[in-house]
Amino acid sequence: MNLYLNQIGAIIWKDFVTELKTRELLSSMFIFALLVILIFIFSINLSIVKASEVGPGILWVAFLFAGTIGLNRSFMLEKENGCLMGLMLVPADRTTIYFGKLISNFIFLSIMELFILPLFMVFFDIDLLSHLGPLLIVVFLGTLGFCALGTLLSSLSSNLKTREIMLPILLYPLLIPIVIGVVRMTGQLLDGIPLLDMMKWIGLTASFDIIYIGVSIMTIDHILEE
Amino acid sequence: MGPSENAMEVRNLRKAFGVLRAIDGIDFDLKRGEFLTVFGPNGAGKTTLIKILSGLTQPSSGSAKVGGFDVAEGNPGMRKDIGVISHATALYADLTPLENLMFFARMHGLAQPEDQALKVIDEVGLTQRRNDRVRTFSRGMLQRLSIARAILHDPKILFLDEPFTGLDLHASNILREHLQRLHDRRRTILMTTHDISCGLEMCDKVALQVQGRFAFLENIGNVERDQFEAMYFDAVRDNQFIMETGAIG
Ligand SMILES: Nc1ncnc2c1ncn2[C@@H]1O[C@H](COP(=O)(O)OP(=O)(O)OP(=O)(O)O)[C@@H](O)[C@H]1O
Ligand SMILES: [Mg+2]
Repeated sequence: MNLYLNQIGAIIWKDFVTELKTRELLSSMFIFALLVILIFIFSINLSIVKASEVGPGILWVAFLFAGTIGLNRSFMLEKENGCLMGLMLVPADRTTIYFGKLISNFIFLSIMELFILPLFMVFFDIDLLSHLGPLLIVVFLGTLGFCALGTLLSSLSSNLKTREIMLPILLYPLLIPIVIGVVRMTGQLLDGIPLLDMMKWIGLTASFDIIYIGVSIMTIDHILEE
Repeated sequence: MGPSENAMEVRNLRKAFGVLRAIDGIDFDLKRGEFLTVFGPNGAGKTTLIKILSGLTQPSSGSAKVGGFDVAEGNPGMRKDIGVISHATALYADLTPLENLMFFARMHGLAQPEDQALKVIDEVGLTQRRNDRVRTFSRGMLQRLSIARAILHDPKILFLDEPFTGLDLHASNILREHLQRLHDRRRTILMTTHDISCGLEMCDKVALQVQGRFAFLENIGNVERDQFEAMYFDAVRDNQFIMETGAIG
């Protein structure tokens, strides 16, 4: 068990050291998310539509698109020079690779989101601070589901030549339940509804998070082997 | 693994990629501490054989045991005992040699990752460059580092796929001495190479792989170098003819 956690820790450590040196992952995700939000700002007339109605959808579109870039990049690093093969040769259970990548993807996405949220608040002139706690829970659930499925599918598509295209094609349809859940919840939070009144949505999102992690644990062996 | 047990037992091993039979029925045993060199023309399936034996690819049929483990089962215990040098370096380009090896040492669960990493870096003569990014390394330096990665955890069984590629005279001497030492310490080694003198020098057994089969497998004592060389060149020439014309051998 100790070794297992140590191996997961080593993968996360390696991803962080790489990112500290290159700063490519965070900066590209951040700039992309920012651009998505800006494009929407300029294409929507906020004096006609209510910001709290369109805002949640735009926010999550920005998170998902930027996150996809992050996932692609994160697995590209593993494929370069056959590093994934090196990982397959160490005496680790394959799920350590999954959990290591899942956690580091999750942390990088969360950092990007924490930078985007204040900008979103300013651009859309929405007060997020009064709902900050519940909002962070929703962001957590959504990001976890995205990373759980995204990490699995990016390891699946990393063997394909058309990786950049295949990942979103596989990922987005399966993410629909989670996206609906978090967008609804974010919208209702902005309308001042307390999180406790959305137990159904929380349940839906959390169950999909768990299902996707479970499916990943069961299939990662076969997916990583060519 | 008991002392008398075979380190490798390969039985009627086959691997097909579509219609192409990359491994087409290979049988051999390798006792603990034995050194087998596999020669063969390009595309003979040497790399595929190593991939199957190290658990990276599943065989289509047949069986192989390495260190007592069935390779098809993918047991992590087997991977503890093996080290692999392959065509790909399996090194993270944005990390330094020290960081790379510390990472793999931690993945292997070694007690002193940093000390162990520094030790093998020293063995392959990269101490001066241990804190430079691997991305900036030359071909031979990468090869040295991937040797370091493979021997980091002092594996009982080594698979070396053309390990001398890109090494300068000094580095290949280091590698040769190191292999000799490993051989003396009864490590089991399977190496592929295109370099006849290098390959024949250290081994106990020689194989010639042609089109997915061992066309020849002998103890080194029974091998006449000139004869073997002639056979090897014939195999390479025939293979070239088949590759160019598509004729079935
Ligand atoms: N993943 C794959 N998909 C399809 N064909 C493959 C794959 N890997 C190997 N092959 C084919 O299997 C055959 C054996 O390849 P392999 O790399 O094992 O040869 P090799 O003996 O190592 O050659 P070399 O001396 O050039 O390294 C080749 O014809 C190759 O094209
Ligand atoms: Mg090869």
